[in-house]
Amino acid sequence: MTATGVGASVVRRGLREKLTGEADYTADLRLPGTLYGCILRSPHPHAEVLSVDCSKAEALTGVRAVLTPFDAPPGRVAEDMPVLDTRVRFVGDEVLAIAADDRDTALRALELVKVDYRVLPFILDPEEALKPGCTEIHPGGNLATGQVLSLERGNVDAGFAQADFVLEDECRTPTHSAAPMEPRAALAYWEGDFLTVWKSSRGVHVDRAALAAALEMPESKIRIVGPYLGGGFGNKDESRLGALTALLARRTNRPVRIEYSREDEFVAGRVRHSARIKTRLGLTNDGSITAIDTTALLDTGAYLASGPGVARRTGQAALYLYHCANVRYRATLAYTNRPVAGSYRALGAPQGHFALETLIDRAAETIGMDPLEFRLKNRVRPEGQPGKRVTPVGQIIDSQPVEGGVPFSSNGLEECLRSGSAAFGWETPARPSPDPAKTRGRGMSMMIYRGGPGFDSSAAVRIDREGRISVVTGLMDVGEGATTVLAQMAADVLGAEYAEIDVLSADTESTPLAPITAGSAATFSTGTAVVRAAGQLRQRLLELAAPGLEAPVERLELGGGYVRVRDDPARRIGLSQLTGRMEGEFLEEKATLSPGSPDFIVNSFGAHFVEVEVDTETGRVRVLDYVAAHDSGRIINPKTALGQVEGGISQMLGLALSEELITDGPTGVTLNASYLEHKSPTIQDYPRIRTLFANVVDPVGPFGAKALGEVPCAGVAAAVANAVFDATGLRFRDLPITPDRVLAALADRETNYPTGCQRSL
Amino acid sequence: MRPFQYVEPASLEEASAILAREDGKARIIAGGSDLLDEVKDGLLFPEILVSLSGLPELKRVQVSESGMEIGAMVTISQIANQPHIVENYQALAQAAAGLATPQIRNVGTLGGNLNQRPRCWYYRSPLTHCLKKGGDRCLALEGNTKYLCVTGGERCFIVHPSDTAVALTALKAGVAVAGPGGRRRIPIDDYFSGPGRDVLRENVLEAGEVLAGVIVPGGPSTGNGEAALARKSCYLKAGEREAGDFALASAAVSLTVSGMGPAEPGVDRIEDAGIALGGVAPIPHRAVEVEEYLKGRLIDGVNPAYAAGLALKSARPLPGNAYKVPLARNLLKRALVQLLSS
Repeated sequence: MTATGVGASVVRRGLREKLTGEADYTADLRLPGTLYGCILRSPHPHAEVLSVDCSKAEALTGVRAVLTPFDAPPGRVAEDMPVLDTRVRFVGDEVLAIAADDRDTALRALELVKVDYRVLPFILDPEEALKPGCTEIHPGGNLATGQVLSLERGNVDAGFAQADFVLEDECRTPTHSAAPMEPRAALAYWEGDFLTVWKSSRGVHVDRAALAAALEMPESKIRIVGPYLGGGFGNKDESRLGALTALLARRTNRPVRIEYSREDEFVAGRVRHSARIKTRLGLTNDGSITAIDTTALLDTGAYLASGPGVARRTGQAALYLYHCANVRYRATLAYTNRPVAGSYRALGAPQGHFALETLIDRAAETIGMDPLEFRLKNRVRPEGQPGKRVTPVGQIIDSQPVEGGVPFSSNGLEECLRSGSAAFGWETPARPSPDPAKTRGRGMSMMIYRGGPGFDSSAAVRIDREGRISVVTGLMDVGEGATTVLAQMAADVLGAEYAEIDVLSADTESTPLAPITAGSAATFSTGTAVVRAAGQLRQRLLELAAPGLEAPVERLELGGGYVRVRDDPARRIGLSQLTGRMEGEFLEEKATLSPGSPDFIVNSFGAHFVEVEVDTETGRVRVLDYVAAHDSGRIINPKTALGQVEGGISQMLGLALSEELITDGPTGVTLNASYLEHKSPTIQDYPRIRTLFANVVDPVGPFGAKALGEVPCAGVAAAVANAVFDATGLRFRDLPITPDRVLAALADRETNYPTGCQRSL
Repeated sequence: MRPFQYVEPASLEEASAILAREDGKARIIAGGSDLLDEVKDGLLFPEILVSLSGLPELKRVQVSESGMEIGAMVTISQIANQPHIVENYQALAQAAAGLATPQIRNVGTLGGNLNQRPRCWYYRSPLTHCLKKGGDRCLALEGNTKYLCVTGGERCFIVHPSDTAVALTALKAGVAVAGPGGRRRIPIDDYFSGPGRDVLRENVLEAGEVLAGVIVPGGPSTGNGEAALARKSCYLKAGEREAGDFALASAAVSLTVSGMGPAEPGVDRIEDAGIALGGVAPIPHRAVEVEEYLKGRLIDGVNPAYAAGLALKSARPLPGNAYKVPLARNLLKRALVQLLSS
């Protein structure tokens, strides 16, 4: 243990550089002779590109290259997405790309390109898209992946037969953008047949593989570097950006940079899947759940991106948050001619938790039980779900199971519920507003998230001849502080201080293979590899020192820059003295592993408590107080952990109350692609947030850590909606809960929004 | 963005002469926070931008016995913080303080705020050719109407986006205009014009005319003792977030009351009332029915809810924006309660 190792709130790497403006983001990078690249985007939601006439654009002085679907190479960026295509599938889809000497010339050239489109029928509604005879957006139809995801544990029909009554609901959640401060950007440069790309990235090795496939060239000829990232949130980069930049650079033999505009980032970045979710809940009169049956329809937009992962995540709450023998989850992903939905922090979890946790609130209300008590009674226990294990014994449980019979490695859900409710003062009702037009209420939700173990991970830890220690990882720090936490872990193992550890990361030429920074897996998975590699290095150093210190390795310890004899600390040798004697530049140990456990599911948990005030005259919902209690195992860096929780909640308050990316029905045009109109909350909209971490040390995770990055997003909208119900008696099934919806609901409370719950038997 | 020329004339007359000479190819630029967005989004292609930043007389606030004159280049921040305005023209100061964000308030000007173009998505999107851009119909009617007007729309259903315009309408301001034929003063009610008159424009400025400033009548309490008249005003705005938002609806109320003070409580009488609603019509909407109800009424006899209910009787909401009627009335009621109880 060192003062700046595990458990210390050290200042995260790069913070000073970001605050002073020293940090270079991709768009800040320039090479001599860099050209400006830009993309022509489709004005039609669905069309065939019959021909393009670029003669006028090419004749413009300063235009260096035009890349069209007719002369682009045949590779694919994703299975359903060629480098460029003669079919465009949403307003904003990439048609062609131009490189020119400067921005004005490039934009002028775009205006001079003539594209002959054959406009096709288009479809914006996912239900309509799946009807027979609907226009096909991709060959094979609009049912993306070609099948419905269907997962079941036990037998829901049997479960409903045991129920005293059944509740059901349908809810809708909107498309919204993560609205990152940095619009995505890439800079590409060729030396002969070797390509280097600096880009907004969530994982340089995965970007390299994707680019190699798109350009049909070997990975060994590509280097990807991830500079500082201005907001990742999962979807940088699932787009054509890297391929187009590289191809323009190839064609011009010059470095080329493409930077999305703010509008591009909203429209042609990747957004959260909008969802329509139906849930049926079988309940007994004493408040037990006998069955949960959930059906989700997700709009993946024009391309699939990470749709299948989103579909699985949407179901995790329904399948695993409550102790229940009989559950079923079915999800359908539909193509539409809308902006592409992809990975956005927590994938489908906010949608799934909203559907489930608002209906659970109704269940508690119907039975006459306190919502907290209902959750304490029905929460999934540490021993996991009922049923029999299906995953073969001895095999690492590498995805979230549907089956029962597998215990959690740790489960602090009860502690989250108890400590969060105590801190919030759940027992005391909200204090009435002094203004009679305003009404206050309180709500809660709980959440589960599979994170931590994910993807094969590797890391190296090295010490050079001067005794300087470096963590070497391919991992991309997406702004959340992953590499800070890794350095803290290495410091702890090697008895060093955090400031003494360098981190080399996010460069395919100098770092080992790494997964994308996703699934809240970085701390757990890459952390496990770092801890193992650092342990190996520690052992090597002790072995190196043993002969000189004339003591067996077992009697030696490492710390403060020395190897010393434990019971005779005066006998010691400095690390630089030790490594100065070795051959080679540095001593390095590497670990590659599949993180996780064959015996346990590793999940993170949380419980949120929120107080809102609804202005019944203006329809505005304001969040007055927020308590978030989380079990993410041991917290490696309390300050960055706090940032994850507050950030996740803040982002999802947008989903709950104000954000929606709106597509115009008649034209397919995105109407509000701007910070002004997308209505992300401002700093003035945020409440005080109090964060608590459960006292859990996970037996599987590195230093006892579990996942955190996405978990806090899951239950925010549900908790807010439950609080709005408490305040007004109105249950909102559609997000966001905006003033117009509140006023409309108040106006016809009786007809459209019955407050009583119908029991259906 | 197409290249353009940028000029800084030394007088209003010169600015006006350039506008007249260039016949539509020149545009006035003040703070530029709206105009440059329009240029970047390809909605406007001016060849010359005529800046007013070299005209100190437009950057002044002048106070006299009869009122106050605010130059068109006075920034929104200045209006929000100017003690004389904060004290005597509360509605205007409040409208300025709640507008946009601090950065925009620092560069945005009163003239620019009054002359900014509508926020309607179908006007702003480079991909939609709506009536206001010379197209053949309003595209919002077939699409999304949430933010559009509930009264006064004819073929085009924009709302006027300016907060200060609503406050100034309640304060019964006048607009000073300089043009090739000299200067003229227009009551604010006649300055803004709806789509019925010209669907391409929102005001009556003619070729070569420049908005020079605004004259707000009245001011510090006038008269003495029992004949004292006092004016109080306020502005309330409803949005979807706390900052950086245009009004879903807003209400400005200005009341001139006689006998205000300790003399004889209960006999305070409303001598004049100015009531304007924002976010509901293509121009700031003067609620004449409410003004008439209030005028001459003893304060104790005012029923704020009833008064507010008189507004927007003729509203014809579009599918999707009926919420604006109760919202605007609620704000109006709240503003009346706030003023009458103070």
